[in-house]
Amino acid sequence: MNLSDHDQDQPGYHGLTLLGPFKLMINPLASIVSTILELIGLISVALSASRLLLNKKRRQIFLSLFFRQIYNTGVRALYINGAVAIFIGALLISRLFDYLPQQVFSEQFGYFFMVVVFRELGPLISGIILIARSATAVTAEIGYLRLRREFQVLNGLGISPVFLFLLPVFFAFPLSLLLMFIYFDLVVFLSSYAVIWLSDPSADFVVLLLSILDQISLNEIAINAVKALLGGMMIGVISIHFGAKVEDSFSEVSDAISNSTTTQLMVFFIINILLSLLAYTQ
Amino acid sequence: MTASLTIENLRLEYPDALLFDDIHLSVQPGSLIVFETNVLDGATSLLKGIGGMLSNIDGHVWLNDIDLLRADAHQRARHVGFVYEEHGLISLYNVFQNIGLPLEFHTNLLADEMASKVFNIVDRLRIDRELLDKQPHELNDVQTRMVNLARALIIEPNLLLIDELEGGMPDDMIDWTMEMLLERTRATQTVTLITSSHEHILREADRVLKIENCQLSERQT
Repeated sequence: MNLSDHDQDQPGYHGLTLLGPFKLMINPLASIVSTILELIGLISVALSASRLLLNKKRRQIFLSLFFRQIYNTGVRALYINGAVAIFIGALLISRLFDYLPQQVFSEQFGYFFMVVVFRELGPLISGIILIARSATAVTAEIGYLRLRREFQVLNGLGISPVFLFLLPVFFAFPLSLLLMFIYFDLVVFLSSYAVIWLSDPSADFVVLLLSILDQISLNEIAINAVKALLGGMMIGVISIHFGAKVEDSFSEVSDAISNSTTTQLMVFFIINILLSLLAYTQ
Repeated sequence: MTASLTIENLRLEYPDALLFDDIHLSVQPGSLIVFETNVLDGATSLLKGIGGMLSNIDGHVWLNDIDLLRADAHQRARHVGFVYEEHGLISLYNVFQNIGLPLEFHTNLLADEMASKVFNIVDRLRIDRELLDKQPHELNDVQTRMVNLARALIIEPNLLLIDELEGGMPDDMIDWTMEMLLERTRATQTVTLITSSHEHILREADRVLKIENCQLSERQT
């Protein structure tokens, strides 16, 4: 087979050499390593830019952006988080009601809630909602700002785009995710109670609540907080990272959203699974 | 506030093209200079390069005793105002906030003092105060450029760089804007550089420089 110069210029061409297949394996690996290093770099940039918050005026500017981000991410997501929590709470309890004897159900309600909702479903579903609803929006916004060369404008004005765009997301996403966890758990409990009450109006609200609180140790709370802080921070940083890769065309914005969402889901699942394994495997 | 500008050995190069090489220029305080532009002649890049906003540049740009190519971003932002031909506003903020942005970040002025400065500059440039609440995307090109100009002027820069002021402006608007810019440049003894191909602007300039073969040459007025 003859390969013309034109064939050899094609982007996918790796040559019929011993290095060809090797390069095919190395390139995706190199790309992953490079993304991880860039994300670590972005986190260190954000941490380093945090020192600007020592200045009172900068802190005021930051706080207005931070609260705007908390409102958009943590507060405005509550209705969808609440709706999903209502469905899950009602579905979960009605299924458990069908499968378990009444006695076992009453005794084990707190444990089931803690293991299924508090430990796993709350963090997972809240994270997915954060990624689908807010992280995509941040990636699109950053991509759009890059297309309009607004980062260049900010640099020209002596204003750090990191301070204006990365820092509020870096701090607001973890806090928003924590709020969403709490809200999700609360709504699942309330909707569970509603289902139980419909089947058994004598069910005591306080007894059920205490049965859950009995199961939630400081360790459980700490693990959930770490999931929120680490997960939220990574979701935010990944959004900014891919949004900031946009250069010249609108199609790059959709690529950025797609790549960023895929990476966020992977990273968030890995964080959740690893933390659960570390914390709950005896 | 007197400022003079000296450019030495300026070289501006992109990977695929050399735009400017060995540029030397000396500008006296109180001067308004126009770079006469043609399509794709690199005038915008030259303006950004002089303002220290590009990295692919060598040489020295002395604004008084500050080398803008080596000054930090904060120092540059205090002394150089840049007016973009298009866009240039931050879509996160409304017009009022965009104009006040440099004061917000680089001064310790109180909110009242900042507002008073914004209103002052807006009135000087005859910008409708009703625009102040609008978002950047709600402005037309001319309004966007005037807001850019207001933001550049609000820091009272020693060096004002304006990229193609005239696009879409009626002649009378160009005339009174140029009159205001000339008056300011003279009164403050600072330096204003404009890229333009519009006769009304060229005729008001103290000097007109043409871009030819990677060099600047004086056009006789």
